[in-house]
Amino acid sequence: MKLRQSMAGLHTWGGLLPSWLLFVIIFAGTVACFDKELSRWMRPALHDGVASSLGADDARGWLQQNVSDELHAFWMHGPTEREPYWRLGWEVDGTETIHNVTFDPRSRQATPMAETVGGEFFFKLHYNLHAGDVGMYIVGLAGMFMLVALVSGVIIHRRIFKDFFTLRPRANGQRAWLDAHNLFGVVGFPFHLVLAYTGVAIFVASYMPAAAQVSYAGNVMQYFGEVMGSYHRDELHQPAGKPVSLDALIAESQRQWGGGEVGWVSVHHPDDASAVVDIRRRDRSRIASPQDTLTYDATSGELLNRQDASTGYRAYLWLAGLHMAQFGGTLVRLLYLLMGLAGCAMLIGGLQVWLAKREQRGDRSLPWVRALNGAVFGGLPLASLALLWGNRLIPTGFAERAVAEGWVFAGAWLLVALWSVLRRQQGRRLLRGQLLLGALLALVLPLVNGLTTGGHLLASLGRGDWALASVDLFLIAAGLVCAACAWRLDGAGTPAVIRRRSPRVQEA
Amino acid sequence: MSRSASNNRWGIASRVLAALVGGYAVAYAVTAFLAVYLPLVRPDRVVFSSLASFAVWIAVVIYVFAARSAGRIWLPIIGVTAVLCLAAFLSGDWRLRP
Repeated sequence: MKLRQSMAGLHTWGGLLPSWLLFVIIFAGTVACFDKELSRWMRPALHDGVASSLGADDARGWLQQNVSDELHAFWMHGPTEREPYWRLGWEVDGTETIHNVTFDPRSRQATPMAETVGGEFFFKLHYNLHAGDVGMYIVGLAGMFMLVALVSGVIIHRRIFKDFFTLRPRANGQRAWLDAHNLFGVVGFPFHLVLAYTGVAIFVASYMPAAAQVSYAGNVMQYFGEVMGSYHRDELHQPAGKPVSLDALIAESQRQWGGGEVGWVSVHHPDDASAVVDIRRRDRSRIASPQDTLTYDATSGELLNRQDASTGYRAYLWLAGLHMAQFGGTLVRLLYLLMGLAGCAMLIGGLQVWLAKREQRGDRSLPWVRALNGAVFGGLPLASLALLWGNRLIPTGFAERAVAEGWVFAGAWLLVALWSVLRRQQGRRLLRGQLLLGALLALVLPLVNGLTTGGHLLASLGRGDWALASVDLFLIAAGLVCAACAWRLDGAGTPAVIRRRSPRVQEA
Repeated sequence: MSRSASNNRWGIASRVLAALVGGYAVAYAVTAFLAVYLPLVRPDRVVFSSLASFAVWIAVVIYVFAARSAGRIWLPIIGVTAVLCLAAFLSGDWRLRP
């Protein structure tokens, strides 16, 4: 009894305080399940589904012509089923900044596509809130709170099996929300536990450096090298010779693997005589691609190293792979999406329980908690829709286009937050307004997409291009759900409020 | 009344601090200890002990809030951290074995 009480306190407060932050992380991660499809939608050049015919040497040629700084490294990834185009990234020596460019698959020469934040925007929001290392630590701490809330939630949950089949939507507010919170919490529990643990495990080397500090005396480079079995060559500070063809090295690697697919290709200090080329294998039949990286001398093409990752690193990759959901195809990603949405629903349900409990007491902090709810639970999805609107409406030639998209997202979120604060006393009206706005933004977006690009929904459906059509279809479904909720709120709202308030009036 | 309320407030503050800082300290110590003493090769010792650290932290948080007295939680936390850290960091060159 005592244990359950103390765990209830821990679950209530340890769950409440990070819940808005967790909502941002879980929502962004849920959207990121389909980040590559979203990236395609956000780049009109990819709407007709043409696969790129460029090679790795074309991408490198573009880099040599357009970037004159000395590079620390550059890396590229060839066309795949979900991303039918070449991606190129590089880091200029002495800076920590990373530049990215993607090449138009319809062009026979390397031509960059219009800038966009792409679906990676949500991926990055998910793991570091676009706040660099600080954000990564904040997300990690939120992940620990989530794990503690999950464990304490199980301890306080006596009748986990029975409650699984219990939903009393007609019961009073608190009871119904508690049922909803339990339902989504219990259904999603194994998934949420695994995803929270593997999520914090991905950055384990940053979060828990103890083992490397004691067993490698803090020598992080040696630690990474030994754990990953990777190859490293110090710079010689002599000019590099004529580089060997990357496409030839890719073909050679495929021969070495007996016909495996190629993933990332990276070149380290390309302007130095010590330059090496890493060619990593891509294996979609595995939870995580095995790290069978082949390392070549960039000038002679001589094979220098065949990566042999430690058992520990393979286990780590397996855990990270479970989290990243790059295995198993669309069905697995769809399951992850549904479970992620269940996580969002669990958070919202939990907060409603907290609110309903305190509504009876008339707590003074309630309007502010409601404002925060509106600002985050309503604000983030609305800002995400605004981001897609920005992506469609900001002209292609606009300078710093990706930055402008980011500002549209941030500006929209701030406006919704302000709206929520101003309407904090009228929670129902605020919710209805947000639902209607969400329905409008989501339902009109496929039309805007059709008008601004050639890749409208009917065209992509006609081609059987479900990956692209799914974005528009999801928007329509989400818009209809919002509209239905707003309509229900309109019809059923008023009597329910009266019904719920009357006993309190009598009490008073 | 006011004494027990403030007592309670300090108790909660003590537990929260123990969960956040104490929990990390114990997880750090257990990780360092396992990284030295697990019967595995060095890269695997490091990875597996690190991956276990989060479970240790969660266990400490649960213990800290489940304990009857807020005053008595600190002794085991400090004790375990000190003993395991000493065992890990004073293991000489043995901790660097491949």
